[in-house]
Amino acid sequence: MDKKFGFYICSGCGIGDALDIKGLIEEVPEEEGYSNCKTHPFLCSQSGVDLIKKDVADGVNTIVIGACSRRVNWDVFKFDNCIVQRVNLREGVVWSHKDLITDEEIPEDEPNNLQMMAEDYLRMGMVNAEKIKLPEPYQLEEGINKKIMVIGGGITGISAALDAAATGYDVTIVEKEDALGGWAAKVRKQLPMAYPYEELQSPIIGSLIAKVQENPKITVKTGTVVARIAGQPGDFTVTLKKPGEKIPFDVPYPLPDEMKVDENGKELDNDALAVKYKEYNEGRHDILKLDPDGEKFGAVVLAAGWRPYKPAEGEFAHLGFGVEENVVTNAQFEEMAAKGKIVTADGQPAKSVVFVQSPGQGDDSDFPYASSVTSLVSLKQAKYVTEDYEDGKAFVFYQHMRTPGLSENFYKSIQQTPGIFLTKGEVVSVAKGDAGLVVEADNTLLGEKIQVKADLVVLATGMVPATKDDPVVNLAYRQGPAFRDIGLFNGYCDSNFICFPYETQRTGIYAAGGVRRSLTMAESVEDATGAALKAIQCLESTDRGVSVHPRSGDKTFPDFFFQRCTQCKRCTEECPFGALDDDERGTPKPNPTRCRRCGTCMGACPERIIGFADYNIDSIGSQVKCIKVPSEDDFDEPPLRILALVCENDAMPALDIAAMNGLTYNHQLRIIPVRCLGSVNVIWIKDALSQGMDGAILIGCKHGDDYQCHFVKGSELADIRMKKIGDALASLALEPERVTQVQVAIDEYDKLPEIINKFCEEVEDLGPNPFKGF
Amino acid sequence: MGQQLLEPDVSFIKVLNERGGDTLKKCFQCATCSVACPISPDNKPFPRKEMIAASWGLKDRLVNNVDIWLCHQCGDCSVMCPRGARPGDVLGAVRNVAIEENSPIPALAKAVNDPKKLPVLLLIPAVLFLIMGWVVAPMIWAVIGPILGAIFRFDYTQTTFLNFSPELFHGQIAHSAFFNTWLVDMIFIPTAIFAVVCFALGVKKFATNMHNAAVAEGKVKETEFSWKGIAQALPKVAASILRHEKFNECSENKSRGTSHMMVLFGFIGLFIVTTCFMLILYGSALVAGYDHAWHGPYSQLNPIKWLANFAGIALLIGSLAMIKNRLGKSENHLKSSYPDWSLLGLVLGLAVTGLGAEVTRLAGAEFVTYLTYYVHLIFVWCLFAYVPFSKLAHLVYRTVALCYAEYAGRDAK
Repeated sequence: MDKKFGFYICSGCGIGDALDIKGLIEEVPEEEGYSNCKTHPFLCSQSGVDLIKKDVADGVNTIVIGACSRRVNWDVFKFDNCIVQRVNLREGVVWSHKDLITDEEIPEDEPNNLQMMAEDYLRMGMVNAEKIKLPEPYQLEEGINKKIMVIGGGITGISAALDAAATGYDVTIVEKEDALGGWAAKVRKQLPMAYPYEELQSPIIGSLIAKVQENPKITVKTGTVVARIAGQPGDFTVTLKKPGEKIPFDVPYPLPDEMKVDENGKELDNDALAVKYKEYNEGRHDILKLDPDGEKFGAVVLAAGWRPYKPAEGEFAHLGFGVEENVVTNAQFEEMAAKGKIVTADGQPAKSVVFVQSPGQGDDSDFPYASSVTSLVSLKQAKYVTEDYEDGKAFVFYQHMRTPGLSENFYKSIQQTPGIFLTKGEVVSVAKGDAGLVVEADNTLLGEKIQVKADLVVLATGMVPATKDDPVVNLAYRQGPAFRDIGLFNGYCDSNFICFPYETQRTGIYAAGGVRRSLTMAESVEDATGAALKAIQCLESTDRGVSVHPRSGDKTFPDFFFQRCTQCKRCTEECPFGALDDDERGTPKPNPTRCRRCGTCMGACPERIIGFADYNIDSIGSQVKCIKVPSEDDFDEPPLRILALVCENDAMPALDIAAMNGLTYNHQLRIIPVRCLGSVNVIWIKDALSQGMDGAILIGCKHGDDYQCHFVKGSELADIRMKKIGDALASLALEPERVTQVQVAIDEYDKLPEIINKFCEEVEDLGPNPFKGF
Repeated sequence: MGQQLLEPDVSFIKVLNERGGDTLKKCFQCATCSVACPISPDNKPFPRKEMIAASWGLKDRLVNNVDIWLCHQCGDCSVMCPRGARPGDVLGAVRNVAIEENSPIPALAKAVNDPKKLPVLLLIPAVLFLIMGWVVAPMIWAVIGPILGAIFRFDYTQTTFLNFSPELFHGQIAHSAFFNTWLVDMIFIPTAIFAVVCFALGVKKFATNMHNAAVAEGKVKETEFSWKGIAQALPKVAASILRHEKFNECSENKSRGTSHMMVLFGFIGLFIVTTCFMLILYGSALVAGYDHAWHGPYSQLNPIKWLANFAGIALLIGSLAMIKNRLGKSENHLKSSYPDWSLLGLVLGLAVTGLGAEVTRLAGAEFVTYLTYYVHLIFVWCLFAYVPFSKLAHLVYRTVALCYAEYAGRDAK
């Protein structure tokens, strides 16, 4: 594309009052092609937009707009087939530096900080506009397959299949058991699903199965599991098999870390690794070999569900489990209740049943994998006791009674059942009494120590996600067949519990139901709809060649300059989404539809051969290089220049919000938004410091246990890389404190100016960069 | 409190549900009630713990609990309760069961609280009076008539117990000519003794159980039980009761204090009047002979009559005010159940028939006044005979409990 530039400055919203607009335009180098400089007092108005549109009609296709933040009016300044570069003069310069606005004339020998900032940002915007290209969407070579595979034929899988089929997609349900239904078919009654949410209801699974069977868009494969899923969204090649079968297309596993080194602990080279890998996966084809008989799918809904927690030998011996035959888990109890009346091990009526919610022993936590569902199930099962026997009594001892949302109505109705008795308390022991069992509890609402007689004791053990035991999805991905364990989810597969439900760390695979978290059947049905819609979103986005999530609609994708690749595998290993596979030599094989466009590979690559059409090493690096660094030649006391690479997901909006709220921060900062801190390549920081800038700050999302990074690992990876850069700085005789990384949440906008100012002060204390002026 | 084996009694819960405590299982133990209660003690306050004991059906913990009697059902807790569990009414129901449990004839207590048994309970005195008047009294009279005739110097053979067409007495209607005073006494004196004995037995059981429970829970300072100590607390407690001090601490149903006071003072006034009447009748009969004794009806100018009329009107207005109050309250403020209505009906009935008999007598309506008087006597009998079993027994149990609390040091706030 031959670029024809247009350059526009808005003087509205206080920009024109604070800045010398004429001076800014004078700064624009005509030789770069910006002959077409225009100002407008109200650029986002109809007349302003028309002004630009007229130029577009005359052939302008690269538009630089100096106005408000790119986060606002993006729909106004949208011109088809044009590169639009926004320069944030309003939030980024004027509103956030109101302390610099003055009517007084600034003497020639003193820096006009506000004007210099605006000039820098305009120059950076122009350079970026020069460097970037209009992206062209990626299209799958073999075309897209829009079939959806649902793994798991329980209530979640069935609901997802019905929802997807109802919107017109072909669905295949893969169920490992010989019949559909899962746990939903094994209960006596289920929790209320409709107003007034008070009464137990008969299982609905039967009617759902019937609907599946008569739906021509749904294929059911029972007694089947996934051997491997190869390829990428829109073009998955799936090999199915019978449970327990061993076939060549079983997925190979990556080498464990201890096998990647020789006897002396030295890392093996790529050729040696390839040999070891083949040995390790003897009899199984490599991930890159596609099954010619495999079935094609476009997206996957993972509804593999859960299994009851299996207590270890002696784990709950103090509660009589494994010791007394009349101590059972809630799953065992449900099984009995579904078959008939509730009885003890020797078949006698169990008229007094104690439900234990927490294992106790000084700790108030519930059983492993317990949740609101186990609370609700205890209430449900307590009701069974009073249903089966008019004089039946059910006791529930809990540390936490979790009945969220409308299930509070159910709690109330159970609470008001005369034969059901609830109390908070710690169950201390379950022991044999004169007749039956005696349950002893401490610190109850009825007093310090109480005992009740029980014919049967039920432990509210939790629901373990299927992905805890087994990858289930068996992905033919170089990073391994399972969702990467990032040590936070305890076996549940989720990429961010709160922000991105249904998303997993693998694009195109969406989790719903018990595999995602403990859910009631009503919640699972709802969850299934969410996952089905995500799968559809994936198919349609892939079809259009755009990113699915969270950069929905992004047309770019990473481009590799393979001639310079050194097969270091860093990109393959660091990609949070396993988008890259590599061949035997270690050369990465991109799978663009798996990619979420975070740029973590670009940040990782030491050869700097990865980039996007509108976001690459050069486009950012050139912006860094065009920041003017004043030296003592310019002023007696030259202002510092500090580079800020700011994550555009949370930190950048927070900065805008700070400006909108009238908060100000240090003017020596020069901000460049980045897709994710994971995409930050250390070369940018080295460039900044070597051209005389005095410091660099990376502002990104929180990482750790409650991480908020939109790309799971980006800010954490940046943190690791920045620690490494400290050594490099030391070798240049620069203080490592000149580079820092901070974490902010989007709602911490009020703290952000403080954080920035504090860092700027620290850099001031270190003094100017000694390389300045060279 | 040591280790306790709890055995919930579901039937107890169901009984409480029937008697106004239908909301007890709504409690989720937030203890707002204990904080809201203006008279709950700081040490182990009620009614939070009573609520969970009730929802667990722990009858033993409740029927002998001194705290249930410290509550005056003002309703502050019920109004504040975030779950609509109405602790005040639950405690009312618990007190009802406590009266039943402590009474020596639980079956009678159950009948008193059962609306289906009401016709039978009313029929008992109606029939009893007839049998006594026609059959039993003459038989007794054969034995005691000569003795009484000698003492009070009158011709006992001329006594007619029930006369449905009596002559006028000194030119005016006298109810004694219809329903003989001797017959009244032959029925009511044994009935009163029955009531006193029932109370005595009930209180004896109640007081010791209450003490043991209070000591076990560690909520009283005094661990020795002493009737003397309890009795010594009576003057202070009685003064507090008469002044209705506890009612005044309420905020929600403060107005109930006034009507309750009217009814209480009405009863006290009528008790004084009846006692005076008996003393004067038999005193003057001893001196002047029965035929020349000061019989009723008294003149309207007599101060005793003033008191009688005043007390009767107080009873009428007080009971009407209480009924109006209960009808006007939403369920969340005060729930009314059968034991409440039956007692209020009885009090109103007493007042209406008592005053009615007087007014119709003065109006000279012979048939109407005799009939009204007969009904009045039925109500009075019900009051005497059923009081140890009805809600009205709180008169005795609450007084004993308050005296005990005062003696044993169950400190109020």
